Amino acid sequence: MKRVLVAALLLAGGAAIAQGPPPAPKPTTLSSRPGASGGEALYLEHCASCHAPNGMGTGLLGRRVQPALLEARDNLPAAYVTVAVRQGIGNMPAIPRGEVSDDELRQIAEYLAAGPHPAASGAAQ
Amino acid sequence: MEDDWLPPGFDAAKLAQAQRALEAVLGAGKVFFEGLDRSGYRDKFAIEEGRHLPAGAVGPTTVEEVQAVMRIANQYRLPVWPISRGKNLGYGGSAPLLSGSVVMDLSGMKKIEFDEEFGTVLLEPGVGFYDLYDFIQKNNLPYWLSTPGNSWGSVIGNALDRGVGYTPYGENTKNLCGLEVVLPTGEVVRTGMGAFSDAPTWGAYPFGFGPGWDQMFVQSNFGIVTKANMWLMPEPESLIGMDVEFDRPEDLKAMVDTIGPLRRERVLQQSPSIGNWLRAAAVATTRGEWTDKPGALDDGVIDAIRKRFGLGWWGVSLRLYGREEVNKAAYKVLEDAMKAIDPLVIKPTTWVKGQPMEYSGWTGTPITFPMQNVNWYGGRGGHIGFSPIIPQSGTAALAQFQRTYARYREYGMDYQGSFAFGERHLVNVNAMLFNKDDPAMMGRIDPFFRQLVADAKAQGYGEYRTHLDYMDLVADSYDWGGGALRKLNETVKDALDPNGILAPGKSGIWPKGQGRRA
Repeated sequence: MKRVLVAALLLAGGAAIAQGPPPAPKPTTLSSRPGASGGEALYLEHCASCHAPNGMGTGLLGRRVQPALLEARDNLPAAYVTVAVRQGIGNMPAIPRGEVSDDELRQIAEYLAAGPHPAASGAAQ
Repeated sequence: MEDDWLPPGFDAAKLAQAQRALEAVLGAGKVFFEGLDRSGYRDKFAIEEGRHLPAGAVGPTTVEEVQAVMRIANQYRLPVWPISRGKNLGYGGSAPLLSGSVVMDLSGMKKIEFDEEFGTVLLEPGVGFYDLYDFIQKNNLPYWLSTPGNSWGSVIGNALDRGVGYTPYGENTKNLCGLEVVLPTGEVVRTGMGAFSDAPTWGAYPFGFGPGWDQMFVQSNFGIVTKANMWLMPEPESLIGMDVEFDRPEDLKAMVDTIGPLRRERVLQQSPSIGNWLRAAAVATTRGEWTDKPGALDDGVIDAIRKRFGLGWWGVSLRLYGREEVNKAAYKVLEDAMKAIDPLVIKPTTWVKGQPMEYSGWTGTPITFPMQNVNWYGGRGGHIGFSPIIPQSGTAALAQFQRTYARYREYGMDYQGSFAFGERHLVNVNAMLFNKDDPAMMGRIDPFFRQLVADAKAQGYGEYRTHLDYMDLVADSYDWGGGALRKLNETVKDALDPNGILAPGKSGIWPKGQGRRA
């Protein structure tokens, strides 16, 4: 016999999750933080699609480390970020130099190494 | 071998010469030939690590630089593999088909020209869905994108590989309207009204005069698209719809036979996708939380996962876009139709302009979280897709599902399948999730994939898109007339690319003297 489900269903991009996370936040992009510059702006452009709230990277990191948001971390040395980006890590592909230059990566790595950043708490706004 | 990444016929000295020539026209900052560059452009989801190894990469940022690279490539007979942003994960990512190719990474070409009145955009290949979304947000423009489940990639790259989104503009390749293309020999051509100097209608009328060539540059290796016009959907006044779940595998037949006519009639203007429970669950959980038994999941585990997340065996979302009064009337039609086939649950959704918006694929919001499914098995995950085109028939869909599901169980793989509607067809997307840290599983993927291709071929079903490893296999399945289409493709290839240097082997199209034409 069929039953009627009362669970809320959240469908996004072809994936359905019932009783899952709350409604997804608006994506965090450059226009979310008009004052961002330097490493923060580059982070928003190149990393936030996966490492802002509701991103793949945040979702997967959240299964084994807290805080899952990279901008909220206080333990990301620049050298570690650089290696993770260039070689890939876990399920994250490598980000090659044609996409993010060495100079851009240096700025991103220094930005994350200087964390945690207060902006992370408002990232989902 | 240690030097498997060298281009065919090259030694290290000749490659160094070509590298210096590339640096002379691009500057050293746009030429990437170090070991880390070669590893960085490999396929993250590769089934076999030793294949598709790039020799290096270049990153031109203007059409003139793309032309200059092609002139040098012709001079040295250097194979070049262009990528827009290289996020075609599951199909090869940023890796070239032919080892030794130089990847042309166009992710630095990010110009956006936006016609706010008509909703047309002229994009370069490096513009990602997040970039275009950001542009729209920054300028408060009343347009929506149509985003795929992994929106990390390029907007026109997705259209050029026939990727899809979930709004009425979801068949992205149909929204291309005139291209700028660098041909393999370095000349530039513009298609459609772009061929007419200073025409203000390049992004408005796709055909121009005479033959229309846009689709010739889709999934092909006949040119490098450096600009493309695309149409965007005006923000609708309302978005009304429902998320519907069904309890039994057999319900697929009624779902297809009910939704199909509504799609063909265009009561439904977007293209719904029926997905099984694992499409949802693989994003939210991992297999290890439920069982440590090898082989395909048994029904008891499947039932437990479904119960936890409140999932049907199949789920589908239907959405109506446009004027509120029209949508309300159409919703009644949808509701009556779906209720008649005994769903587990119907959950209505309603939005009108001015209300808080649902940030999902249904509103064209870029997303990446569906890719969390690569963690289903734990370890370093990945997936490839087997996606044949089948008739829009419930009987055909159910038979295809049953045949495929049996194969998944035979090969000990967990089934993630979906049936995505076009207007007259279904795309049966079967995701093969895998764990690269499980050698036994990885050893099964290739024979499993080839079995599915053979099964589909026996029914007359061919794939719409495939991974680098299977481009020859799939191209060969399009065999009518003794391979007449392949011969035409080869004739065009030889005419446009006499030195055979642009993306050799892409979509099974090999230049004379290379690959299976050697």
